[in-house]
Amino acid sequence: MDLLSYLIVPFAAGLILTGIHAYLGVHVVERGVIFVDLSLAQIAALGTTVAYLAGHDLHSTTGYFWSLGFTFAGAALFALTRVHHETRIPQEAVIGIVYAVSAAAAILAMSKAPEGTEHLKDMLVGNILTVSWAEVIRTAVLYAIVGAFHYAFRKTFLAISVDPHAAEAAGINVKWWDFLFYTSFGLVVTSSVAIAGVLLVFSYLIVPSVAAMLFTRSIGKRLAVGWTMGALVSAIGILLSFQLDLPTGATIVCTFGAALALMATYRVLSGRAMIVE
Amino acid sequence: MKLKLALTALVFLTLTTNAHAAKLKVVTTTADLASIAQEIAGDRASISSIARGYQDPHSVETKPSFLLQLRQTDLLVVVGLELEAGWLPPLLDQSRNQKIRPGTSGYLDVSQGVEILDRPTGTVNRSMGDVHAMGNPHYWLDPANAVRIAIQIQQRLGQLDPSNAAVYSSRLGNFKQRLNEANKRWTAQLAPYRGAKVVTYHNSWASFAKRYGINVVGYVEPKPGVPPSPSHTFQLIKLMKEQRVKAVLVEPYFDLKTPQSVASRTGARVLVLFPSVGATPAVGDYIKLFDRNVSELVKVLR
Repeated sequence: MDLLSYLIVPFAAGLILTGIHAYLGVHVVERGVIFVDLSLAQIAALGTTVAYLAGHDLHSTTGYFWSLGFTFAGAALFALTRVHHETRIPQEAVIGIVYAVSAAAAILAMSKAPEGTEHLKDMLVGNILTVSWAEVIRTAVLYAIVGAFHYAFRKTFLAISVDPHAAEAAGINVKWWDFLFYTSFGLVVTSSVAIAGVLLVFSYLIVPSVAAMLFTRSIGKRLAVGWTMGALVSAIGILLSFQLDLPTGATIVCTFGAALALMATYRVLSGRAMIVE
Repeated sequence: MKLKLALTALVFLTLTTNAHAAKLKVVTTTADLASIAQEIAGDRASISSIARGYQDPHSVETKPSFLLQLRQTDLLVVVGLELEAGWLPPLLDQSRNQKIRPGTSGYLDVSQGVEILDRPTGTVNRSMGDVHAMGNPHYWLDPANAVRIAIQIQQRLGQLDPSNAAVYSSRLGNFKQRLNEANKRWTAQLAPYRGAKVVTYHNSWASFAKRYGINVVGYVEPKPGVPPSPSHTFQLIKLMKEQRVKAVLVEPYFDLKTPQSVASRTGARVLVLFPSVGATPAVGDYIKLFDRNVSELVKVLR
């Protein structure tokens, strides 16, 4: 059936997103910085808007480097503000503030550099339905590089995410590695948001990781559960969207919600201690 | 026996789907173009539109059915002038239908043969707002342009489907005649209000206003595509008082708060005017759309 050929590209995109985000999600949940991806995506969008104001085209290389520059600045900020011992300001507060201010700053910039409304929406509302093979392949290559980098230094990245104090004591420069983490994370999120939109990327990041925590504590098993769930939900969501003719991204997000609810219900009803070490 | 029955059913099914496929499939981006295409094609081609009449044609949420619709299309008719620039290109790419690529005979941009207003002279820069660098894309709201659109569709249909060319051409004649008569009626209804001053939300009504001598003196948007700002709204109120503006015309997909607050401070009335066929079920075709808009406009200008 040639309907299949229309499903296959969004599905491939869904698999790639699952691959990197279910992994990064484990870190994000461990660190308790749930909304960091929204915040970094918004900073990247602000960077593009500023580039646009300065007269660079939205899809130009210069525009891309502006957004990358802003993302790196955001990464540095998050690396520096991890936990403040004296004031006990939670990092999630900083993340929220950065989100609100950069979203508002983008609105201000837009009101001066219009056509803006549509284009800025473009940046944050990627559309997984109309993604092309070229984009999928480009994204896959980028994520493979980021993935390899994380795999090579997996022990360090895990150490700073799970127990920064122990890592510090073991002689790891936590601020520097935090910066590397947020930089690679920002790189991924910015590309993901452009092809799938903020809502969907957030779901790929957080839901598989949370769903896995219902059943297991081991990082390896959490990854396995997360990847399986992400792949299944992508397939079901895309099929539903075609079957019922609904906007594809939003359908996948709701499928994630339904799947998580089902898994949680199963966990409660089955009653036994399900946590697998 | 059962197998034979099933096979017969299958053959029958294939035959009927083939007979169906023989009919030209026309897809338009907006409901207005679909309505005009329907007038020309009658039952000789199947016509459907992507955007619904109640949606802002600048931004349309894409759904899987759009891809499937475009996949089997023989002729795609677009408004052009970058109106659909935000959502059509990726859909066209992913539909993988070579027949309707821009530049082929299956792609018809009707802005090529109509009167376009507000074509910017000199360079367009971003400080001017969401200006369509190629001119105002809301040109279909002038019956003279509707005729020009109809002629282009008739010619292209005749070219793609010569066996029905005579039908298309006679239906064009019929549509022109009915539209002409209706236009005389609309002109007469609006004649007493020639020169009446109105404010519109977005610059959607330039062609309509020019046709019927309505004077658009300002916009609720400070620049096209930019939401109302306090200082602009303040100046607009001042301007409307000075010029004794009677009506604020708003497209159905914009927020009514600012128009209502502006109107309440100036004694003007807010009217939701429909820029597209199908904005409500009552305005199901191009002529009904104008019937409704003209009679509502007369009520607020009186």
